[in-house]
Amino acid sequence: MIGFFRRMRFMREHRWTHQHLSDLVDGELSPAEGLRAEEHVRLCPQCHRVLATLRRTLSELRRLGDAPAPPVADGVIERLRRQGGFGPPTP
Amino acid sequence: MRPDSAIEESELVARSGAGDREAYEELVRRHADRLYAVVLRFVADREEAQEVTQEAFIRAWRGISRFEGRSAFFTWLYRIGINEAKRHGSRRPSTEPLDPQEDPRMLDAPDWSDAPQTVLEQRDLRNALDRAIRTLPDGYRATVVLRDIEGLSTREAAEVMELSESAFKSRLHRARLAVRAALDEHFGKGEW
Repeated sequence: MIGFFRRMRFMREHRWTHQHLSDLVDGELSPAEGLRAEEHVRLCPQCHRVLATLRRTLSELRRLGDAPAPPVADGVIERLRRQGGFGPPTP
Repeated sequence: MRPDSAIEESELVARSGAGDREAYEELVRRHADRLYAVVLRFVADREEAQEVTQEAFIRAWRGISRFEGRSAFFTWLYRIGINEAKRHGSRRPSTEPLDPQEDPRMLDAPDWSDAPQTVLEQRDLRNALDRAIRTLPDGYRATVVLRDIEGLSTREAAEVMELSESAFKSRLHRARLAVRAALDEHFGKGEW
């Protein structure tokens, strides 16, 4: 019986933690919530792996954003001038 | 006279609203490259991204006198750009709805969080990431593009998408899990 309640509690924490992994990574949980999530991650190999690979995913996504954007501003301005994009602003 | 690059953005917006083209050109200089990078994630190729960026700035110019400044100019501009990109994208077949469930086949996938990356593997990973992002439905893709790739804050990104912060965060989490799961498949196939 004790095992049943322990499993129920584990599954409840599992669902909650899984829903809040992004908030944990972003530091957007309260201190108490952060401890709750970290405690479950410590006990749950699946959440541990998802959290670790989620962190790596975000780090790789940020690297995509680090790539300099190609310079297009001059082309946009040129086309705005040339193609009559500068009609009067609509009041 | 101050160079345009030293002028506060709010002043440029106000002058643009009054029809000052030079002020608006400075706004284009400040934001076009990043807007193009955002738009490129929603359209087929660079040419279409250029076209959509152009169209977004034309629309923004036409509407700037009605811009009330309740949000930052760039969040308003990004919203116009993303909507314009979606309009272009709607001519293509839509992606599958996002399934937030973990694929049970992947529960035993390896932990690749510390996988080393050679230059070649890094390129493969970038391609896998790019595919994963493109597979997301537009409303989910935008969360990852704005928050994780472009580095906007939750508040700014939610503003672009006209969502409450909690709705935005919920959508962002599902999108991130979907991208992560796609990388599970990439690494699960031994592509590292």
